[in-house]
Amino acid sequence: MATQTNTQTSLLPQGVGRLTTTWKLAMAGSFLLFAVGVFAFVRELSTGMIETGMRNVGTMGGASWGLYITMVVYFIGVSFAGITIAALIRLFNLRHLRPIARFAELLTVVALILGALAIIVDLGQPLRGVVNLFRYARPQSPFFGTFSLVIAGYLVASLIYLYLGGRRDAAIMAHYPSRLQRFHRWWAAGYRDTPEERDRHRQTSFWLAVTIIPLLVIAHSTLGFVFGLQVGRPGWYGTLQAPAFVALAGVSGIGAIIIVGAVVRRIVHDKSRIDLDVFAALGKFLLAFLLVYLYFMSVELLTLLYATPEVEKQLSDALLLGEYAWIYWGSVALLVIPGLGLLWQAFKRRWNVGWLVAFGIAVNLAAIGKRYLIVVPSQTHGTLLPYEVGSYSPSWVEYGVVLGLLGLGALMIGTFVKVFPPIPLREDEEVMVDA
Amino acid sequence: MAKYAMVVDLNRCQGCRACTEACKIENNTGQSMFWMHVFRFEDGEFPDTRMSFLPRPCQHCDNAPCVKVCPTGARFKREDGLVLTDPDRCIGCRYCELACPYGVNYFNWQTPEASQYSDVIDWDDPDIQSATGGLSPPYRNPDLDEEWGPEGRRTAGGNHDKGVMEKCTFCVQRVEQGNLPACVDTCPVTALRFGDISDADSPVSQFIRENETWHLLEEAGTEPSVFYVGGKPPSHSYKEVERPKARV
Repeated sequence: MATQTNTQTSLLPQGVGRLTTTWKLAMAGSFLLFAVGVFAFVRELSTGMIETGMRNVGTMGGASWGLYITMVVYFIGVSFAGITIAALIRLFNLRHLRPIARFAELLTVVALILGALAIIVDLGQPLRGVVNLFRYARPQSPFFGTFSLVIAGYLVASLIYLYLGGRRDAAIMAHYPSRLQRFHRWWAAGYRDTPEERDRHRQTSFWLAVTIIPLLVIAHSTLGFVFGLQVGRPGWYGTLQAPAFVALAGVSGIGAIIIVGAVVRRIVHDKSRIDLDVFAALGKFLLAFLLVYLYFMSVELLTLLYATPEVEKQLSDALLLGEYAWIYWGSVALLVIPGLGLLWQAFKRRWNVGWLVAFGIAVNLAAIGKRYLIVVPSQTHGTLLPYEVGSYSPSWVEYGVVLGLLGLGALMIGTFVKVFPPIPLREDEEVMVDA
Repeated sequence: MAKYAMVVDLNRCQGCRACTEACKIENNTGQSMFWMHVFRFEDGEFPDTRMSFLPRPCQHCDNAPCVKVCPTGARFKREDGLVLTDPDRCIGCRYCELACPYGVNYFNWQTPEASQYSDVIDWDDPDIQSATGGLSPPYRNPDLDEEWGPEGRRTAGGNHDKGVMEKCTFCVQRVEQGNLPACVDTCPVTALRFGDISDADSPVSQFIRENETWHLLEEAGTEPSVFYVGGKPPSHSYKEVERPKARV
């Protein structure tokens, strides 16, 4: 029986249902990380947030938001690019990019879930938070946009988009006898790929894409507003926060798509579907967002250096020359060097997947660094009353929980690619099956 | 409807921090929480230095940034001017703390294990036993668990639940019973005054009329209910000296 199932599942395209040793090892590692995260979070729940490195701003000389909020902003930023690209592919009918649409959407969904979980672990009362954030939701609070709106609007819309886009493939997959057949049949939900059905799907997805684009600009802007609307915190208050958040979201998100794309390409053993043209297109997208963000960053830096109010000076000194300088200039380097590399590749019209992946990793590290620098220094060095300068360094609990979230993300992506084709099947796939 | 306000007379304050003590005892706040904090500043170059003091309670702003950003409405503004926290609704996101330019919010990072004073005071002393009614820490001021005001919400933050935010309440439990906040009641030199500013004849209204007043961080646009008389707003050239041990 077992061998029969194995031979049957091996028929599924793109390695779906086939568990290789590499995959098992990767998943075991991810699960280990996830377990560390759960252990750390249970510790935090039972003793209280005293286990983290966070302390009160002011007399206690700490930072009340730390690594968790940094990761919230980072994860929700990563989610931006996936659904944007998927929606753009639909809206402008970019056929040659179609193969990346599904795992781009998947990345959005996973990143949003991780972002929401990162908010939950940051709450002093996590269970009460899940209820009260909806029960007593106040849209006047910028926090509404980062949780309630992200979950209720953005995540649900992305899931529906992913679901609809996958129905045709699910119907095809349901033809294959396998242990996953029930799941594929459930996903297909009676879809038979008739011309009317196909047309209805195209229309629904189109209008969903039209709706999602403004929704995600709003969601990401409110994330910027969480910081940008606070007069009481030097370094936060500013009009540029919201657009700069969207720009850096694009940078980190496309970087992440490039990384996942390279991994998926290896998993499915089919380099023809995600070819160099696709990577070239992603590289150009990344370059465009990177240039916009570098422009925002330069504007911000010039404003800071040219005319600095007293308190902002204390903050900018800490950022540019003081204890945060290594993160600041490190992040700048990790943005500028990939920018130059991408320019060179674009200029030469020679794209290299290895370099693109390296740039993707670099800009993601830079994004985490920049998010950290938005969240933390304004608390330790940005008090308007002359409190003593504070300090913050994450504790092992915070690192553990963040690693756990990353492990969970890898588990989710890893599971998905083994139960569903991560690249949309070819238009002629069904004919092939019948033959 | 009354509208409460506090006046801090910096011409009188001598930085004794009796108000801080009174606050901690009345509200039984945990270690390193200072709902009422008194800055002791030093300014200038040696030997021409000058000490100055600045009590910093919650400013109970009329345009309170903490109220605006609270995602669940746990932080709210009462008609009588008090800005309070509902510990049963607070989810502990700490956004209020970051929105506040004054740094008056304190998060319960853990359940307080002991009173701030348990190792200083001999709780078995008969005199102390009679004063506390035989209670020893960690004890609760029963008034702090009451639901105060027309909202009927538990706002005094007295039992310091783990994972929620708290801050100065203008001693809502005392004000509702017609008493002064503990800090005001304790101040030995009447540097702190408290009263109803909607009543033009109240002593505090008269005092504000007769003196030049200013607000802390007026430029933040928060419209505080705490008025300062005398002294001058602190600048970043001030150095804070004699800080309390504040990190847990």
